[in-house]
Amino acid sequence: MTKRQILLRKISTYAFAMLDLQMFLDTHPNDEKTLMRVEKFKAMLKPLVEEYEREYGPLMKSSDTTNWSWVNSPWPWEAEEDK
Amino acid sequence: MFVYEKKLQYPVNIKQTNPKLAKIVITQYGGPDGELGASLRYLSQRFTMPLPELKATLTDIGTEELGHLEMIGAIVYQLTKDMNEEDVKKAGFEDYFVDHTAGIYPQSAGGSSYTAASMQVKGDPITDLHENLAAEQKARTTYDNILRFCDDYDVKDAIRFLREREVVHYQRFGEALRLLTDKLDSKNFYAFNPSFDKKCFDKNKRK
Repeated sequence: MTKRQILLRKISTYAFAMLDLQMFLDTHPNDEKTLMRVEKFKAMLKPLVEEYEREYGPLMKSSDTTNWSWVNSPWPWEAEEDK
Repeated sequence: MFVYEKKLQYPVNIKQTNPKLAKIVITQYGGPDGELGASLRYLSQRFTMPLPELKATLTDIGTEELGHLEMIGAIVYQLTKDMNEEDVKKAGFEDYFVDHTAGIYPQSAGGSSYTAASMQVKGDPITDLHENLAAEQKARTTYDNILRFCDDYDVKDAIRFLREREVVHYQRFGEALRLLTDKLDSKNFYAFNPSFDKKCFDKNKRK
């Protein structure tokens, strides 16, 4: 695996943990333990996303000053060797 | 509205070209129990759902299904992107190829185009939630059937993840159904449409 893939896998892991717990909260909105766990994963995810976007381009659309980086960062269905 | 994240929910990195496998996996793109039907079903049903917990559950599961649609598309794409004419012939992929080349088209393994006739939006939350419970199990069975014919580790890994999500969604829909029946008259859950016959909500339990 490339460095990018390893970092993306970490991001996917924490993002998935959040998504799964958030879905649990939809049917258990007052579950304090789960609310706290979502907070925990959110905090763990943030620096990883920042590092990824600094190195490889945006995961979500934002703004740029000279070149629209959304166009050039890798597309998720393309395997690494495509580039 | 929807906002796109430029990543898959779970990574897909397939190294081996295999159009034959692509032809069965594509059924979860546009087949009768596929991810396109799932997302469309939940995202459409949610408009007339009664409780906030049910609206949230259908919105979030429906949205996740769109992510699964993208994963299935990525699997089919990676299985076919490097195929040559010889691979197409050997895999018996000619029938798909003549219509779509290596494009990703929503169809079943048997070659029927996606049809919304394979799903329902009844406007009755008890009926719709029961359909959704069945739909999650049908998709789980389909993933199990795909795994029977799949010997590529990278494909198996992603399919197993998707299979597991069907089980989790089944659990959430079961909880949603229970949250709803908890608000109804316990002597008569199934004789009314709680989205239309509002009187069927138990007065003492109404929010």
